[in-house]
Amino acid sequence: MANLPRSNLVLGLLTLAFAVLLLFVWIPMDTQTGLMEKVRRQVVIGDALAPTVAALFLILGGGLLAVVERNAENQPRMSLRGLGFTAILMTIVFVGLLVMRHAGPLSVWIVNAVQGGELEYRLLRDTAPWKYIGFFLGGTFLISGVISLVEGRVTGRTVLVAILAVVVMIFIYDVPFDDLLLPPNGDV
Amino acid sequence: MGTFDYILMGIQAVFQGPALFSILGVSISVTLVMIFGGFLTGIAVGATPGLAGPVAMAIALPILISVFGYTPDALLPVMGFLIGIMKGATIGGAVPAILFNTPGTPDAFMTTLDGYPMTKRGKAKKALRVAHFASASGDTFSDIVLIICAPFLALMVEAYLDLPEKTALLILSLSFIATVIGGSAAKGLISTGLGLLAAYIGTGEDFYPRLSMGQPALSQGFPIATAVLGVLIIGAVLKELEDLWRRKRDSGTLPEHRDKGDQRLRGADVRRLLPYIGRSALIGTAIGALPGIGSTLAATLGYTVGKSRYARKKRPDAPEFGQGAAEGIAATEAANSSVSGANLIPVLSLGIPGNAAAVFLILAAESIGGFNPGPSVFRFTTDSVNPELVVAFGLFTAMMIANLLNWTVGGLFMRSMGVMIRIPKHVLLPSVLLLTLTAIYVQETRIEAIWFALGFGVLGYLMRAVAISPLPFVIAFILGGKLEENARQAFAATGGDPWFLFTNPGAAILMAMALAVIILTSRKQKDPA
Amino acid sequence: MKRIFKAGIAALGAVVVATSAFAADWTPPGPIKLMIGFKAGGGADTQARLIAEELEARMGWKFIPEQVTGKGGLNLANALKGQPNDGTAIGLVVTETLGYNMAAANAGMTPDDFTGLTTTAGFQMGVVARTDKGWATFDDMIAAAKAGQDVRFGAMSPKLADLAYLLGKAQGVDFNIVNVKGGKGVMNGVNAGDLDVGFMAGIQTKGVAAGDLVNLASALSVPLVQTPEAPTFGDLGVEFSADGYFVFIGPAGMPDDARAALSNAISSVVSDDSTKAGGLIKKAFGGPAAISGDALTELLANDYASAGALLDAASE
Repeated sequence: MANLPRSNLVLGLLTLAFAVLLLFVWIPMDTQTGLMEKVRRQVVIGDALAPTVAALFLILGGGLLAVVERNAENQPRMSLRGLGFTAILMTIVFVGLLVMRHAGPLSVWIVNAVQGGELEYRLLRDTAPWKYIGFFLGGTFLISGVISLVEGRVTGRTVLVAILAVVVMIFIYDVPFDDLLLPPNGDV
Repeated sequence: MGTFDYILMGIQAVFQGPALFSILGVSISVTLVMIFGGFLTGIAVGATPGLAGPVAMAIALPILISVFGYTPDALLPVMGFLIGIMKGATIGGAVPAILFNTPGTPDAFMTTLDGYPMTKRGKAKKALRVAHFASASGDTFSDIVLIICAPFLALMVEAYLDLPEKTALLILSLSFIATVIGGSAAKGLISTGLGLLAAYIGTGEDFYPRLSMGQPALSQGFPIATAVLGVLIIGAVLKELEDLWRRKRDSGTLPEHRDKGDQRLRGADVRRLLPYIGRSALIGTAIGALPGIGSTLAATLGYTVGKSRYARKKRPDAPEFGQGAAEGIAATEAANSSVSGANLIPVLSLGIPGNAAAVFLILAAESIGGFNPGPSVFRFTTDSVNPELVVAFGLFTAMMIANLLNWTVGGLFMRSMGVMIRIPKHVLLPSVLLLTLTAIYVQETRIEAIWFALGFGVLGYLMRAVAISPLPFVIAFILGGKLEENARQAFAATGGDPWFLFTNPGAAILMAMALAVIILTSRKQKDPA
Repeated sequence: MKRIFKAGIAALGAVVVATSAFAADWTPPGPIKLMIGFKAGGGADTQARLIAEELEARMGWKFIPEQVTGKGGLNLANALKGQPNDGTAIGLVVTETLGYNMAAANAGMTPDDFTGLTTTAGFQMGVVARTDKGWATFDDMIAAAKAGQDVRFGAMSPKLADLAYLLGKAQGVDFNIVNVKGGKGVMNGVNAGDLDVGFMAGIQTKGVAAGDLVNLASALSVPLVQTPEAPTFGDLGVEFSADGYFVFIGPAGMPDDARAALSNAISSVVSDDSTKAGGLIKKAFGGPAAISGDALTELLANDYASAGALLDAASE
């Protein structure tokens, strides 16, 4: 968006716009007690004051950036390609986490469908091997996906490295402890 | 209970805590083992490019908490480990800087300037010894200053500052941190504003969680770990991955240099280096005591001061600064290492964290409970024991033990860490990403925490992309709640005086200083030097 | 033997149900999620964790503790409400959460949305000042306030702030009421001199014993165990009190066998002061108070219903 050395100006104006929105829309609509309120015959500070102070910091910063530091040296250039790369990376992470969340319950469902059992993932979330299914599959996907994205190719070695890393993590966070839950087992 | 009794109890708490095992009839307390373990871990991660102390602290914290539980007994082993990491990473960062011209931690950048040329001349081992000696000296000096200053500062604050002054002091610290960290006052203020905003979402005194847009997921606010780890660690990982992808892994083969001649650090060397180390240690300690100014500035200043002295004193045949002068390494390493101890002065005495390591100590204290860094820690009660004060002296003891380890075995371990550079970053970073998310999840046990952390990670990435320093964000996030609480209390306690920050002389002076800091720094940046 | 007997009585309450469910037969169908509505490391949090630890040892049940803090326990209530009611999700809050806080917040929840399991302990809620303030009795403080001294009064919840306000009103003085986070916060404020006086719910015990702190009044309907001579709020002209308990709750509609088994198991742990949990309760909260079953249901309903009167009185 700002390939010219004007990125400070753009950033400053964006910050100001956000701060104005915060100050005049978000804070008034989404707090209950205003800047000050009166309870028990005593005036006290309301819930809107602190976020207003935060908005003032943003206005001060955005204003200084747009006015005083507009022509500062060393302004960063943002590259759309870099942003695109990070967007793809986040998509891989997101998919990995979805797999992590749903692989366990899905496999219980499949087992029930095949064997006709009445298993429930929620009650099995602290029982091996069920509790590892989501973390293992999702984690392996996440790590190998990101490595492959950076390398620009998918290899069997990458997947092996990812599996190894996930197994090590299971041994770090889950195996020695009874009261720790790997994702997603606290939610189901 | 006198002061001396407390010091003694602090030392005992470290040495006589629950014993892990015994050697020759002497039982070794678990805290000692943890300090040692943390120290070794710290050296290893410091020596690994792409990892740094905070990453190791983030990953270790939930594990440590589940090992030791949520009891006050957990404080010293857990925080001892973190202190070990902090100290180890400081010396570890110099290893790849000297051997491969790649700083292991950001503040080791100046070490490459003279360290790598020495390696090329076949003096790698000697350069490492110089770095270790300077670093350990600076660190120890800084810790002594911390131990002497922190209790007095805290006592003064408790004795002289009332609620309005405490509020003004927080505002001053935030203004200072906002405008001084990073290159730009404006960007620092934005970072601070965003951090405060994040701290205020879902919190507040009313039963409706403010700014939560009616989302139940936001009604508890953002857990501190998601904001801190998201912005500091996930943000850094995303940015590094992008940089790696751009350079398409141009790592190539590592250069090999063979050592030649005498690698020992002689008495004469030490005498030659000491003046540089002394000056840099003073600079680093002074800078470290101010919240928010990092070790990078200390290293730069130490190096610059050392350089001008060297120009006057050096022997004609000795190499210039930047050509492989041992004095250059000493000046840099002493300065950046002496920041770490002094940086804990504002945390322990005021509860205001000044750098990433301090942020993690607060995170540990918050998660375990029973220790609230701040002036109330240093209450020397005489009738009953103040357990927080015992913990504080225990922490000081832990720091001195870590220094002792640093002096005795630190150099040896440090010199064996050259191999860490061979770990490929693009494999390491995705694993760090998943490790961090897992670490957050096991502590918070809800999937929203992972989404929050990723959101903060993207924010941290964007901030880095537009050169906004993420540290003010994190510090503001931690101090935001405290600021609001203090302001509310000061307002209510003064009977609803809207000018409570200005009517009281102490608070008015602090507020004037806050304003002056903002004006001075933004004017300085108008005409770049 | 006694436990089985008691459990049988509890189950008899549900004879309408066709299945003759005996609490002793009940085992949780999976791990139990234990939500804790208090900050990690404090007395309340430690209590919950110790109880869970003891139950794991005694009963072989599996607990997974989790912190759900904020908004006076309402965040926990909100999260717990949607959990399965088969006994695999319970939470520890204070009775104030289901009473005053739910009534004041208008959060769309009532005690009917929950199953009360058992209380564990009450509060020793005192009005506490530092000894070197020079106030030996409650009247000394009022005299000082009437002489024109500003009195900063620390309160750690809206209900307590209301009570402090009513106390001032009854005594003809205006306190500067300061809201503080948690009893620890009140104690630090009082110790640092930022506050003159404040509510403390048991955390003051050590300090009072050592002579650093003094209980000026009992905010309960009964005198404090440690300082029986201090006047109660009733003596001081306030018709409300800070009476309250720590209470374990589950989602509404929990089957009777599960409810009885959980409450019996918990109350037998807290009433046994040879256990770590029981020892802590004795030391920090003046001894156990295990109210369960219908008595608890009634207590919670009453607290909720009477909260309106306090709210009205405090907004006059």
